[in-house]
Amino acid sequence: MNDYIIDAQEITKEYDGFKAVDGLNLQIKKGEVFGFLGPNGAGKTTSISMMVGLLKPTSGQILIDGVKIEKIDKGMIGICPQELVLWEHLTSLESLKLMGDMYDVPGDVLKERAHKLLEDLFLDEKANTLVINLSGGMKRRLNLALALIHSPEIVVLDEPSEGLDPQSRRVLWNFINSLRDDEGKTVILTTHLMDEADKLSDRIAIIDHGKLLRLDTPENLKKDIGEGDVVEILLSNSEENNDALNILKEMEEIESVIEINNKLDVRALNAVSKLPSIMKNLEEEKISIEDLSVRQNTLEDVFIELTGTGLRE
Amino acid sequence: MIKFLSIAIKDSKELLRDRKGLFLILGFPLFFMLIFGFAFGGMGQENETHNLAIVNYDQGAVFPTTNAKINFGNNLTTVLKDTKYEDSETHIFNVTKTTENNANNIIKNSNADALLIIPKNFSQAMVNLLSSNINQNALSSSSSSASSGPTSSNSNVTAKLIIRGDSSSVSFGVSQAILVGIIGNYQDQVVNNVKKSVSGSSSSQIEYIKTDVESASGTSSFTTFDFLAPGMMVFAILLLATTVASGLTREVESGTLKRLKLSKMRSFDLLFGGLIPWSLIAALQILILLGVAIAIGFHWQGGTNSIILAMIVAIIGGVASVALGMIIASFAQNDRQATNLGTLVTVPVSFLSGAFFQLPQVVMGNFMGNTVEIYDLLPWRHTLLALRRILIYGGNWNDISYQVAWMVVLTVILFSIGVVLFSKMRLQAEK
Repeated sequence: MNDYIIDAQEITKEYDGFKAVDGLNLQIKKGEVFGFLGPNGAGKTTSISMMVGLLKPTSGQILIDGVKIEKIDKGMIGICPQELVLWEHLTSLESLKLMGDMYDVPGDVLKERAHKLLEDLFLDEKANTLVINLSGGMKRRLNLALALIHSPEIVVLDEPSEGLDPQSRRVLWNFINSLRDDEGKTVILTTHLMDEADKLSDRIAIIDHGKLLRLDTPENLKKDIGEGDVVEILLSNSEENNDALNILKEMEEIESVIEINNKLDVRALNAVSKLPSIMKNLEEEKISIEDLSVRQNTLEDVFIELTGTGLRE
Repeated sequence: MIKFLSIAIKDSKELLRDRKGLFLILGFPLFFMLIFGFAFGGMGQENETHNLAIVNYDQGAVFPTTNAKINFGNNLTTVLKDTKYEDSETHIFNVTKTTENNANNIIKNSNADALLIIPKNFSQAMVNLLSSNINQNALSSSSSSASSGPTSSNSNVTAKLIIRGDSSSVSFGVSQAILVGIIGNYQDQVVNNVKKSVSGSSSSQIEYIKTDVESASGTSSFTTFDFLAPGMMVFAILLLATTVASGLTREVESGTLKRLKLSKMRSFDLLFGGLIPWSLIAALQILILLGVAIAIGFHWQGGTNSIILAMIVAIIGGVASVALGMIIASFAQNDRQATNLGTLVTVPVSFLSGAFFQLPQVVMGNFMGNTVEIYDLLPWRHTLLALRRILIYGGNWNDISYQVAWMVVLTVILFSIGVVLFSKMRLQAEK
């Protein structure tokens, strides 16, 4: 019995000398929700495409439950792409039946499964509605249902909550949890919503420039990076941000300091005890503080800490 | 459900539910048919004289009752020379008597629209017919393309007139149709005369033989449009390639092909499944276009069987177009490219198939007694020739079997290329 259902070994993908993915090693456990994070262009989609067999790696190999990806039963994986991939002139039920047929799902099982998925995703009233006439949220839920109609072992969800309202997002989150808890599925989740990744993922991988930066549970990531707390400082004069940044960087008791949205984010262990010395050092240089707050470290802080604040294309 | 059937049902539903798309698929060729119908429907019969080469091998015969030596071949030649259009003073044919070798060159160089070969036993067959006074098929006529060889007579009572020419030519089509009509009239009049003679009519055979056919009934009905209508049908079938390419590319662009690619579906399921609705569309197009063509003046020969045959031919042609669509979709990156590339390919192919006008002869060789031209490598060329045989000349299965065989072979080759290319370019894991 293999603990890891996906084992990506040293996978690399090169395009004309550019390494989109660079020697990525990744093991995903059976029955976990695996968060896959990275800025735009970090290599997430390329990595996932290789892990589901849509793209051949330039080097390295991928094992699915111990079997080479090229030789696996295609029914093992279900992918819910980021884009809405639907046939507009079919109804919701017809779309599900089509995909069921493509995976050789027996007729009676298919019928039952299609109705259950429609019900679970609150689409049962739209079973016979043409996709073209569904709302954006309904289309996104159908997009997900199509990835699950063959009951795959591994479900890949590529930014599934993109464009969803908070209500629909909660429906989706509950559904993802039920996939893991009730059905024992392995879920790979890519998202730009850090709270979503934090709430749903058992483990999270953060990649950038095609390389794995960190892989751990959300709790450990938040604990390890920034060691606990964040002090957010807003200066009276934002032109002094750079000077303040240099002063704070000199302080030994501070883990890191970066500028985000005109504010200085200072990470330090037991930040409250460091506040007097932070304020003293700044006041000595006649830098006045307009606002100051202390909050717990978030996954977004970890993400920014690891991948930087530079804009990605 | 079997995967390819599921794909066929999906494609059919998408086709039928996309009303705008369906209207364009069916409406565009219809529009062309109407334009061509109104433009050419009244032309062709406007007292146009056709060049006819005649090779007369007739050796003559002795008429038993009068012991007079007569030559029906010469008589028929005179009749054809003198025949005029109905209600007109214009002769239908400008007749040139010549030898067979010379005649073939004349046809090849397009100096004659048709060649009529009268066999050596023509008079004997006529005499036997008259003598036995029976109303049977003592004479038969056949049309043949430039590639067909002459059929020799095989008995004393049967003589076969050969009408030869380039069956892709409008002029040959019109000439051939008029010739068949005149020869039919000629034979009927011979038989009627014999009956009169037997019943005590005073008119003698010699007098009959000298009878000139001044006008041929029904000749006013042949038009250039009759010849162009099957071309329009082939054009419609070929346009399907663009629609199929566009549809397949849309499936790539929208990502639905990627979804299918991840499933257990094979290339065959997708492409064979897609063939079913598109071939049916091709058959439906022929039915609609034929109906419209008849409504605006197309002189359709043959009955229900000819419609069924035409639909079978259209389905094979439709499969070839789907295959061409797959090849185009293998290279097009998006819907617009597919449409542009499709138009770029299908319009010249329509011309090269001879859908709009006669093509210069480019002979590659001979196969089974038939001349093979470079255009014969296009399946739609055979679709066109088969549709003309069926719809203009009232041809049956035997008349089109040669063309159908070519079509099937070429379509299988094209479909195989389409499946391999599309699978390689679109259905395999990206490298």
